[in-house]
Amino acid sequence: MAQRAVWLISHEPGSPLCGTVRFSRRYPTVEKRAKVFNGASYVPVPEDGPFLKALLFELRLLRDDKDFSESRDSCSHINKTSIYALPIGGEELWPVVAFMKNGMIYACVPLVEQTLSPRPPLISISGISQGFELLFGVQGFLYSGQKNDSELNTKLSQLPDLLLQACPFGTLLDANLQNSLDSINFASVTHPQKQPTWKAGTYKGKPQVSISITEKVKSMQYDKQDIADTWQVIGVVTCKCDLEGSMPNVTISLSLPTNGSPLQDILVHPCVTSLDSAILTSSSIDAADDSAFSGPYKFPLTPPLESFNLCYYTSQVPVPPILGFYQVKEEEVQLKITVNLKLHESVKNSFEFCEARIPFYNRGPVTHVEYKVSFGQLEVFREKSLLIWNIGQKFPKSMEISLSGTVTFGAKSHEKQPFDQICIGGTAYLKLHFRILDYTLTGCYADQHSVQVFASGKPKISTYRKLISSDYYIWNSKAPAPVTYGSLSL
Amino acid sequence: MGPTSRETWAQRLGTFRASPSTFMAGPEGEDLGRHLLSDLRSEKLSEPTKVSLVALSLEYPAQLWPDAPAAEVAATSLLDTLVLLPPRPSALRRPLLLAATTALAAGGALGPTSRASRRLLPLLLGLASGRDLGRSFGPASEQRPLQATAWECLRELESCKPGLLGGCLGLLRGLLGQEAAVQPLSLLLALALRNALVIQARARAGLQGLLVAGDCPTEGGPWNWMLAEEGDAHLQPQAPSWPAAEEGECCLATLELSPEEARELRAAVAQLLDISYLLTPVAQAQLLWLLGWALRGLRGQPPVLFKPQLVRLLGTAQLTLLHAVLALKAAFGEALFTAQDEALLLRRLILAAQHPALPLPAHLFYLHCLLNFPENWPLGPAGEEAAPLLLGSQLCRGLLPSLLHDPMALLARLHLLCLLCVEDEEKEEKGQDQSPRQYLEELLAGLRQRAALDGGPRALATLCFQASYLVARCLAGHPVVLTPLTHGLAQLYRARPALAPHFVDLLDRVGPELGEPLKVVLRQEVVSRPGRDEALRWHLQMLARVADGDAQSATLGFLQVAAARCTDWGLQQALLQVCRALLRAGVGGGLADLLQALARQLEDPDGRDHARLYYILLAHLEEPKLGVALGPSLAAPALASSLVAENQGFAAALMVQEAPAPIRLSMGPHRAKGPVPVLQLQVEVLEQVYSLELRFRVERQLYAPLGAVHVPCLCPGRPTRPLLLPLQPRRPAPARLAVRALYTTPSGLTCHAHLPPLLVNFADLFLPFPQPPEGAKLGFFEELWDSCLPKGTESRLWCPLGPHGLEALVSRHLEPFVVVAQPPTSYLIAIRLPPDSRLLLRLEAAQADGVPVALRTDDWAVLPLVGDYLRGLSAAG
Repeated sequence: MAQRAVWLISHEPGSPLCGTVRFSRRYPTVEKRAKVFNGASYVPVPEDGPFLKALLFELRLLRDDKDFSESRDSCSHINKTSIYALPIGGEELWPVVAFMKNGMIYACVPLVEQTLSPRPPLISISGISQGFELLFGVQGFLYSGQKNDSELNTKLSQLPDLLLQACPFGTLLDANLQNSLDSINFASVTHPQKQPTWKAGTYKGKPQVSISITEKVKSMQYDKQDIADTWQVIGVVTCKCDLEGSMPNVTISLSLPTNGSPLQDILVHPCVTSLDSAILTSSSIDAADDSAFSGPYKFPLTPPLESFNLCYYTSQVPVPPILGFYQVKEEEVQLKITVNLKLHESVKNSFEFCEARIPFYNRGPVTHVEYKVSFGQLEVFREKSLLIWNIGQKFPKSMEISLSGTVTFGAKSHEKQPFDQICIGGTAYLKLHFRILDYTLTGCYADQHSVQVFASGKPKISTYRKLISSDYYIWNSKAPAPVTYGSLSL
Repeated sequence: MGPTSRETWAQRLGTFRASPSTFMAGPEGEDLGRHLLSDLRSEKLSEPTKVSLVALSLEYPAQLWPDAPAAEVAATSLLDTLVLLPPRPSALRRPLLLAATTALAAGGALGPTSRASRRLLPLLLGLASGRDLGRSFGPASEQRPLQATAWECLRELESCKPGLLGGCLGLLRGLLGQEAAVQPLSLLLALALRNALVIQARARAGLQGLLVAGDCPTEGGPWNWMLAEEGDAHLQPQAPSWPAAEEGECCLATLELSPEEARELRAAVAQLLDISYLLTPVAQAQLLWLLGWALRGLRGQPPVLFKPQLVRLLGTAQLTLLHAVLALKAAFGEALFTAQDEALLLRRLILAAQHPALPLPAHLFYLHCLLNFPENWPLGPAGEEAAPLLLGSQLCRGLLPSLLHDPMALLARLHLLCLLCVEDEEKEEKGQDQSPRQYLEELLAGLRQRAALDGGPRALATLCFQASYLVARCLAGHPVVLTPLTHGLAQLYRARPALAPHFVDLLDRVGPELGEPLKVVLRQEVVSRPGRDEALRWHLQMLARVADGDAQSATLGFLQVAAARCTDWGLQQALLQVCRALLRAGVGGGLADLLQALARQLEDPDGRDHARLYYILLAHLEEPKLGVALGPSLAAPALASSLVAENQGFAAALMVQEAPAPIRLSMGPHRAKGPVPVLQLQVEVLEQVYSLELRFRVERQLYAPLGAVHVPCLCPGRPTRPLLLPLQPRRPAPARLAVRALYTTPSGLTCHAHLPPLLVNFADLFLPFPQPPEGAKLGFFEELWDSCLPKGTESRLWCPLGPHGLEALVSRHLEPFVVVAQPPTSYLIAIRLPPDSRLLLRLEAAQADGVPVALRTDDWAVLPLVGDYLRGLSAAG
């Protein structure tokens, strides 16, 4: 269970090679084992140049796709995981774990401790998940708090040292590279016994615990008889525990009000020491019933030094916070649109912001708009073929607002106007963006009394909550719209 | 040469990293390793530069020090550099330790005879166990990171040489209770323990107190290489892939542990698991893989030790931890996971495969795990992706594909959907739920709609065809799915003929279940509505793939109309490709007219030539031959004129080709009857042939020229009758027959082959005289006997007899020719030798080891042949 090599490649579509190797690291002792284990099926790790070329081609990032290319476009060339076989010098390098995120390609080659022909199933290769963790770790490190290119370059320059710490011989010791960075800095501190490895040092100072609950709500609304609207809440609880002692014990509880929506699909941070089976089994997979576990959700844990995501959850609230419909009628060169939005009475009517974005894809630029809004203001971005309806901080007393108007388009020119593979013909959507502070849709909260700390000193406990929209779509009800299986089978 | 400057090194390292092989082949390559080692001790270079030098040696030791002696020298030099560092804090100590370890392990120098190994191992163990190594090992502030590094170095050495630390198990266990470096120590102990178990099992020995022994070498003392030497032949997989592990596990079952050893082992494992919480998640996962597969198959080691960890592990979102749990599941099955546990694990996996908080690559990997889930009681064939039994469509609702998914996720989920459709069809249709099949149809329709979008990216089209291919493969036996798919694809073609290359590719890859009907509807689609001009190119490309003997008149009609619009070379070639496809399919009459018209009317001379060639071929070749002649050419057409390229193909197809022999001939039993000798040839058929003609040539013209033998058809595995070959000897003498075979292959090629020559022996020519009436036999013989002289010759020979005696010899070899027999002592034998010679033998007064033979012949030239023949008889048995 080790990696033979790791690469970081930036994808640069305009450049001659379409990319640059920003970082690479090989592990010769692992390579030597690979040679023995793989035997006749051994394929050596290539140099950076050939690897870059082969990977970009396989990821379809190398050339334009004007013409059909069998090696890339053939229907039988199917990849269902982020694990590839790269043709290099007449042989195939496999398995190569690779994925792209924010223009950066992360790749590594895990060791397989047996012959590669026939290929063993991926599930049975321990290095696969380790490779993923390593790449996720590098990605997390590069993009945590990173704002610009120079910060990215600084972090890239730290990578060799960090990997020397976190993965000196190709066997990953810690996927949390920030922790490795800290442990370099904490190196002078002598450790007491039984310090967890994932905790680089000990905290000195005023004890305080901060817990913040962020819920995202996503929705697909169709306003159709045969298709059910769907919506889902996804929550993440982020904690920072500044507590003295090497292994302070903390129990954090999340609670729901009486009419709150049960938390489901809970995934916890590995520092949580034990879990109630009710937490483990409450799942959105099962049909909802009234007997669902509704808390309190207790998480006993030993906190790491840094801020961490204590748990993720999903929840099925009874109604979407904003219910709307959107109708588009095509009338010769113009579109006639009608939008209606209604805030549910149970939702806190105090937004940080709230707006509806109405894009028009696969058409020419907007040349003319005539509209009427019952509330808020409409902004028109002609070249982008986009309308933004700014609703503001509050819905009116009626809780219901509407927009109607006609939009005229100019001639379509392929380069400038946005293309979308979903919005074909009459298929169209509007997307809601909003944020409400100090509020969760499930009602989930953590108060001061819900935190138990078994450590010296009484900590200051602060809690935060917010609700954000994410992928909140309202589809044109006058045309077909993409559906999920769940929308059809209700 | 003095030390190189910082800038020079920076530049040199940059060039090296860009392409190590190019650099090493250049002028600086040879000395790079040596310079690097010497400059590490230079006082002029800054520490960061030195760190970058060591870093290079960590990645490319094989290039710097290509053999074991060089690696040994390098490791020694690195260790010297380490020892000589001044006692202040330095960023070089850790990298130097890693580099010395890497040089030894990667260079293959690690071993009892290596001085560097004998220095490094006690040093590492001393550093790791916190023994005081004196001031040379830097300030106290560096002790902890150095200690952790030393443990890691030891683990890497143990990985590369299993058993290396087998003698230190007791020490490691002791330290685990006290040491702060919990993680590296736990991992090393687990690894060394596992390796020791496997090595001892191979050697059929017990643990021999390894777990409790506390004696470990000190610096300068001898290292215990015993276990490492035993384990050397086999590098140990630390986390073997399941199928391979299952084959190798019988090995552990042979390990006999005393009750005390078993208890110690259990205690060690329990201790490791108890503190595993203190390890980072990835390290916990490694520990579980190591211990899980160490204990699997080991008698008396119950897997319940792992149970307390499972709930905690199942709650996390960590990929490595869930993967490790799956590994435990695969290792122990029902012994660790009850049916309820299995269901819970499966649910967590389903949840993880769709949880919005996890990234896409993790979702995809979990989906893979789901379809390869190690079930307690798997039903399907091993190694094939299948939905686990417990995974019903209800549980999968969230895992089904939608158009909004990324292409990879869509394909992975589509695969699952296809598997559900198979199950769904087996079950009854359920009432209120939409059936997965309907959903599949709608999804495919959506994909086609996107692919049909004019000017849309090719990736969308590719995705649509990948999905169609996947469905056709998974649901090949389900016409209820394939029929709408076929019609949907035809519609897609109508909407966007530019996708023709994708259709051709799809037709080339799917089975006949989708391929055949799709071909038909696509052909209809093309020929029923003559396309606009820009689509004509695609229509012709499509038609070249789908045209066959059916719907000839419509196809030819389409081509006639199209011909008028094929104004440029490319279109004409495309048109001719369709003609070619029709020729192959055996379309006759109407095509001849079309080709004739094309040969006159096409503007391009190459096109006209082509059409004429096709016409000539059509007029002169019979159908099967035509098919082969126009089949895919093996010669890569790299020439400008397509006609020349095509001619290369014909040349191969229309000429008789040399081929390896398709049959094997051997001599059958001798037939001693009839007017002339007839050879019986046994045929062994190696490959199917038609119209076989065997031609024989007699060397030195000893016999009259032989007629050819014809066989209509030969099939391997089908019994064949022997072939009869009559001989007309000009002289009674043995001869060699050269054999050639001319035949047609099933694909219609005409081939010829040389077969090994056949040897006709002297005895093969023997024929009996007509039997005289009973009572006149002796007289008949005597008459023959007397007639030989004076023209002929007489001789006496000694014929040795085998253990079976004279009677057996005669009955085996000479039976048909015996005229008068008085067994067991006397035989009178008369043999006709074509064309007109005779050979008479008197075998009388046989003794134990031989019989005297009196012989006469009217042809003195056969005498030496007779001698050889008779002497050979006893040897022939």
